[in-house]
Amino acid sequence: MTMRRTLAALLTAALLSAAAAQIELTYWHGFTGPDMPLMEQLIAEFNAQHPGIVVKAEAVPWGNLWQQLEPSVAAGRAPDVVAVNEDVVTGFILRGALAPMTPAALAAADIDPGRFFGPLWDTGVVDDVAYAVPVHSVMIVMYYNKALFAAAGLDPESPPTTRDEYLAAARALTTDTAGRHPGDAGFDHGALATWAAGMVSPWMGGTVAYAFTAQNGVTFVDGADAGYAPNFDSPEAQEMVQFLIDLVNVHQVSPKNATEGSEIDAFRQGKAAMNFNGVWMLSQYAEQPGLDFGVAAIPQLGSERFATWGGSSHLAMPVQRRPDAAKQAAAMTFIGWMTQPEQNLFWTAAGGLPTQPEVAASEGYASNPMAALGEAMEGTFVLTGFPFLAQFRGAWDAAYEAALLGDKSVAQALADGVAEAASRIADGLQSLPPR
Amino acid sequence: MALAPPRPRRRRRHATGGPAWVPYAYLLPHAVLFVIFIVYPVAFGVYVSLHRWNILSDVQRYVGLEFYARLVTPGTVQFNFFWKTMGNTALFTAITVPALLLAALGLALLLDRPIPGRAFFRAVFFLPTILAVSVMGLTWRWMFENQTGLVNILLDLIPFTQAMPFLTNVGWAWVPIVVGTIWWTVGFNMILYGAALAAIPRVYYEAAMIDGAGAWAQFRHITWPQLNPVTLFALVTTTIASFQLFGQPHVITSGGPLRTTQSVMMFITEEAFGNFQFASAAAMSVFFGLLLLLVTGLQFRMTLRDLGRGVR
Repeated sequence: MTMRRTLAALLTAALLSAAAAQIELTYWHGFTGPDMPLMEQLIAEFNAQHPGIVVKAEAVPWGNLWQQLEPSVAAGRAPDVVAVNEDVVTGFILRGALAPMTPAALAAADIDPGRFFGPLWDTGVVDDVAYAVPVHSVMIVMYYNKALFAAAGLDPESPPTTRDEYLAAARALTTDTAGRHPGDAGFDHGALATWAAGMVSPWMGGTVAYAFTAQNGVTFVDGADAGYAPNFDSPEAQEMVQFLIDLVNVHQVSPKNATEGSEIDAFRQGKAAMNFNGVWMLSQYAEQPGLDFGVAAIPQLGSERFATWGGSSHLAMPVQRRPDAAKQAAAMTFIGWMTQPEQNLFWTAAGGLPTQPEVAASEGYASNPMAALGEAMEGTFVLTGFPFLAQFRGAWDAAYEAALLGDKSVAQALADGVAEAASRIADGLQSLPPR
Repeated sequence: MALAPPRPRRRRRHATGGPAWVPYAYLLPHAVLFVIFIVYPVAFGVYVSLHRWNILSDVQRYVGLEFYARLVTPGTVQFNFFWKTMGNTALFTAITVPALLLAALGLALLLDRPIPGRAFFRAVFFLPTILAVSVMGLTWRWMFENQTGLVNILLDLIPFTQAMPFLTNVGWAWVPIVVGTIWWTVGFNMILYGAALAAIPRVYYEAAMIDGAGAWAQFRHITWPQLNPVTLFALVTTTIASFQLFGQPHVITSGGPLRTTQSVMMFITEEAFGNFQFASAAAMSVFFGLLLLLVTGLQFRMTLRDLGRGVR
């Protein structure tokens, strides 16, 4: 090949790539915490691998993102790709803020719905049409203090998994300042030295109660056919809420008036033997000097099934006033690449859980402290994905708090909560555009 | 209004020295901004409140006063929570406004004396004002944390007091919010009072002393009346700021326990951006705005009458 021909070829290539101008995509996400550098790294890698596409990311705190998304769609200035969470995604879909993804578009972007955990994929689906692809997943887990377990004569490698085991362990782990256990003569509930796990006020308290109540088979809100009628005042729901409150007042294995913050501090200080919180707490606890702890699935305190609270983030395309096929294809390429097993594995380093069984079972994930949760994830009933989650959650949290603080009886609190949620959901339904 | 005799038109025009439209031209820049950022949004808010508003829909269904009716119909969720959070906000205002005025006046009086380190103390009391509400809120939540907060650790150490679950106790949950707010904002009113105190001519006090007036008489008959315009200004701005309470309970208690520290602004935000009921939230905002206007008007009337300068 002569020099001249090489030059000519290079020139042609340069001209061609200039003709096929780069497609610029805007991408809004709310990963502003310790996960931000990882997200930025992934975007840089995508841009390097795809010379024809430039993704420009904007990190916006989640709360602000929800406020800005619909106005931006209405104004025709929406980003090309957006990350949305499980509690708002269905509402955005039903109100018409997100664009559907056809099976052909999914296939072209190498997105196979069967690759993901089922409940996680379904979170982004309405009426069998996909709108959002899972990119990030979290759940409520149980952290437990191995030293306190050993000191109480419990096996630090097998934390409780049932209600009976939990109660037995909780009694053994709870001591007052004189070393007495709940039930002992003279036990002083007001002067606890160590305890099992505090039942905390909302939001976290409502989240934990939501997980345990689901274990009694409660679905909280009926399906679309039943007009999304809230049902969390059922006897099964009352039974679980009563049990959680009894952990404080009857079994006395939780301090009164615990908050999420006070329980996190108490777990770090070695006072609370167990802590129910999100997987995102892992790095904080790992940095605590002298804290020897394990991570496990929350115990099954309910009688129907295993369940925990799950949260997730999904990548979606907002509706554009003037849809551009080339941009949409590029956006799908980006979404497809970001949700591949390789990227998902990289992402788990930021504290997220795998979105797909293949990653959960991979060698690269085996060393992750959350790997122990693998089985729990397979069986997890992720309690997300119905519309009006926000409308339901506020009422649920208020009901649980009223019962926990003794302001109302459990039955009254849940009945009031259902009435409130029903009114909110009715409003939400009336505000939806016709489908 | 009819105090001065009407003047001939020609003379007035001469007095301003220019065509009649000149004063309006000076007013124009502010008027333009006022229309864009106040008049238009308020008018649009009223329009939104009369429809079942879906921001992404092409047509918005007109519902008239439905969302206003809910606010005066007992039993609706909106009625219950709007008036509950209105009551919370009024309680907060009733406590903090007098406290903020009195504390600011007290600090200003103390710092009006020629004491050493006066500028230092002024700076110290003013300093919290520059903090962001999130910083201030997190600090006070941490101070009052139920089991591990500094306040409770101290209460446990002091004889005859015991730890109090401030953050989850109905009533006591206001303590971190009120204490934090006073600490955070007292410096501003203190500076206002400080400047006003310095502006009172000393001759008044000299004359009063010659007449044999004591410290209280001097305060009652010179300082307090002289401070009246500043008190009116501080009263109105502090009241409006207190009614617009949002950040402190949002960060410190999240409105809990049992919505007892949720302010009306927090509820309106929840209705708009949590429930996506923009029309309902707009109706509440209009309603709340009118109430605030009424309160401010009453304050003006009362204080101006107190000033005794014939303005009614």
